Amino acid sequence: MASHTITFQPSNQTVSAATGALLTEALRDAGLDINQPCGGQGRCGRCAVIVKDGSIRRRSTIRLTASDIESGYALACQSIVEGDAVILIPEQDQIERRLVTDKTAKAIAAPFPYDPARDQTVRAFAVTLDPPTLDDAVDDVSRLERALAARGIRHLQIPLPLMKELSARLRDAEWQVTATIETDTWRNPDGPPRLIDLIPGDGEGAAQRLFGVAIDIGTTTVSVYLVDLLSGEVVDTAAEYNKQIRRGEDVISRIIYAGKANGLQELSQLVRATINEVIKRLAQRNKVELWQICKATVAANTTMTHLFLGLPPASIRLTPYIPTVNHPLPVAAPEVGLDIHPRASVDCLPGVAAYVGSDITAGVLASGLADADDLTLFIDVGTNGEIALGTKEWLVTCACSAGPAFEGAGVACGMRATRGAIEEVWINSETFEPTFRVIGDVKPRGICGSGLLSLVAELLVTGVVDKGGRFKMDMATPRLREDEHGSEYTVAWAKDTDSGRGIVLTKVDIDNLMRAKAAIYAGFTVLAQSVGVDLADVQRVLIGGAFGKYINVEKAVQIGLLPDMPWDRFSFLGNTAVMGAYTALLSRDARAKIKDIAQKMTYIELSADNTFYDAFTSALFLPHTEMSRFPTVAALWSSERSPET
Amino acid sequence: MPITVEIPKEKWAGKVREVVLGATAADGGTRAKTVVVGGEATLPFLHFDGAIPHPPALAIEVRDRRPDDWSPLVYEAWGEAMNDPAEWAKAAEKAGADLIVLTLSLTTADRKPNTPENAKAVVRKVLNATGLPLAVFGPGQAEKDNELIVPVAEEAKGEKLLLGVCEDKNYRTIVATAMANGHNVSSKTPMDVNLAKQLVILIHDMGMPLDRIIMDPTTGALAYGIEYGYSVMERLRLAALQGDSMTQQPMIVTPGEETWKAKESKVGEGVPETWGDWKRRAINWETLTAASLIHAGADAVVLRHPETLARVKAMVNGLMSAN
Repeated sequence: MASHTITFQPSNQTVSAATGALLTEALRDAGLDINQPCGGQGRCGRCAVIVKDGSIRRRSTIRLTASDIESGYALACQSIVEGDAVILIPEQDQIERRLVTDKTAKAIAAPFPYDPARDQTVRAFAVTLDPPTLDDAVDDVSRLERALAARGIRHLQIPLPLMKELSARLRDAEWQVTATIETDTWRNPDGPPRLIDLIPGDGEGAAQRLFGVAIDIGTTTVSVYLVDLLSGEVVDTAAEYNKQIRRGEDVISRIIYAGKANGLQELSQLVRATINEVIKRLAQRNKVELWQICKATVAANTTMTHLFLGLPPASIRLTPYIPTVNHPLPVAAPEVGLDIHPRASVDCLPGVAAYVGSDITAGVLASGLADADDLTLFIDVGTNGEIALGTKEWLVTCACSAGPAFEGAGVACGMRATRGAIEEVWINSETFEPTFRVIGDVKPRGICGSGLLSLVAELLVTGVVDKGGRFKMDMATPRLREDEHGSEYTVAWAKDTDSGRGIVLTKVDIDNLMRAKAAIYAGFTVLAQSVGVDLADVQRVLIGGAFGKYINVEKAVQIGLLPDMPWDRFSFLGNTAVMGAYTALLSRDARAKIKDIAQKMTYIELSADNTFYDAFTSALFLPHTEMSRFPTVAALWSSERSPET
Repeated sequence: MPITVEIPKEKWAGKVREVVLGATAADGGTRAKTVVVGGEATLPFLHFDGAIPHPPALAIEVRDRRPDDWSPLVYEAWGEAMNDPAEWAKAAEKAGADLIVLTLSLTTADRKPNTPENAKAVVRKVLNATGLPLAVFGPGQAEKDNELIVPVAEEAKGEKLLLGVCEDKNYRTIVATAMANGHNVSSKTPMDVNLAKQLVILIHDMGMPLDRIIMDPTTGALAYGIEYGYSVMERLRLAALQGDSMTQQPMIVTPGEETWKAKESKVGEGVPETWGDWKRRAINWETLTAASLIHAGADAVVLRHPETLARVKAMVNGLMSAN
């Protein structure tokens, strides 16, 4: 058989290969290691190489676009040697950037050109007062007012505690002060302005620092952005599991707990403690004093807003599902126990209904759905899955209880999408051995939401679980085990993990994940049905929520979380609730727009009839009982697998 | 002037698959005859709408040993035959059954755990005693079902038995052995359209041809949830006729088992006088339940009392001859 010379760049190694050999075999002969997480099945696209010269035959081009092929890309595991060739092995991250199924959230940046003088309601005014003399003997307050009037601040309200210290502060600062002022709120757009603090100095140093926090209180996760209100930039972000988790995993169990003696106080205290801890960590890490944080906006589902404010949530659970308030007034930080500036106001953004809170209105703002020309679906994947569908003309919304699985909670080896979390998995379809990517490139500590859905999709595609989500215990792999606690698949052996304990996926985990994805899929199918829209007409799908920074939409389609449509219609936006809270923190116009969005949204109650339940049980299958809804998955199914025999 | 009235006909896109139970010598088995279930291209007995090639099959349930807790009325009907599954099956054939459903028990008559050897022997004995096609169901506990059904499937290789019970938690072993030994399977799910479809998909995914799967969507007796079971069966059948492939399996249900659990059938004393004659009531209960389920689309019903069998047979014959 003819032999050919294959040269691999950039190392310029040369091997000879026979006609008909696979490039992966030539690579192995050259001693070159190339990623093949799917086991050389042409499924994952991770072994893409660039043919610089010569000829190879592409046996399968799944994963390659026409322009990829034009620029020479080929999958090493699917490329057959037909003559001499020069092959460039690209850097791995270059390959992954090219993959259209991988959606990574954009870096956080101010969503518009920020001008505090125009946009911000909490501002710092550095003023130099004329010291009093016998000729200019107005009182201290009038003197301050006079100086601020020159800056456009009129009818300033000075709280009594600050008034008590005014005399000393002005004199100690030798009449050079910076006034932190809240000029207006959504409720009082024309003021009057309120003095938050008066700090010595008029330029450099502490006086010129002013911060805010944007907070998303999730049922499972609390996320906070620390924001510089002068530049508009996000200084740092942090997140932590909501300490309320120990009192119930979903909003319903929290509401029930709140009804017990002292339950409401305890839950309020737990969520406030979580927020304070995260803020404190952010402040310390960035050398910010807590009193320099003078504004807070909060996005949360309605139950979380109630518990944060200390309002009894009981009626949210009972038909006809009426919350105490959808749009609370701003409150002072000490009233809700937040350890930031004691005169900072805390603004809970407006929600729509008992199960559609400000996390979704803020998310709709951040996602741009309210400005969309084309039919757009927005899905906020969290413990409570919230869904909105519409255009700039109309918006409908619904909510469904998905459970915390996608946030890595309620899962045996689950964790948040932070360092040490397995975020993507591939399984070799012959050996059933997994390959995974860990956030931060360290030993794995657990699996986050995107890792979980990736793992379940791979187990399904490789046939380790059936479409009902059950492990096929008769498969030949030591990674499947069963004991009195149930069955499980070992993703990482004990010796390979950070803790020294194995990382497993249990049957119960799969059940939780399936319920979560079924609830969300059923939610948007019923929502679309309720307005007579065909899902296929949706032009864009915006995904927000708990997945950290990354989601593989193909995997999400394979398990039936997302509808089967071209991958380029999907965008992953990250945590849209906190993004919306951040936008509202920066801009009174954005804040007003959230209010408009809340008023514009039509809420569809899913529990009104049996439609949702039917859609849910139909979706409680991988990917779905109606395989015809998932044509690309069906095609993969029949091409990858012949029926078992 | 004569007026021509045209009866409107429904045009259905799909039809129910046919499943052949039992194999004669020509097909590698030993049955005297086979039973074909399914094949309908319309709703039950609407002959003017579409073809109904086979009447619903009427099966009698036979146990591998005399059961402990059946109604005295059923013991009275079958008498001594119930002490021997072969005799019982013979009596059922004589009573006019189309099919024998042999249910294996957890324990043998002497209260010892049932064994593969015993199960094989019983099945062989019943096969020898009757020429009817045979269904063999395990006792309904996953591990025991698998332990008993696999050897039975091997013992009766080629007989085209109907093997059960496949449930979502436990189907792989039974399906695998049915495929390897040329049998059919019964796919049982708890009264839900989606669950019924899902298990058919799972079984088919293993490579089992669709013309060897029968669905048991589960039912309740008259006054014990029959409306729910009826509605699920009706929805499955409408979906099948509308062309939904994974619902096009013939359906088998067990009205005998369900009705004889009901107090109205089981108890003759200490009940209101207005309930009337016990025996008449009990047989009516089973008959009405079975007749209703046949109207919901059942392709096979499993009965217990010979009198019920005779009455349901009369009904079916009447409705089929209206063709």
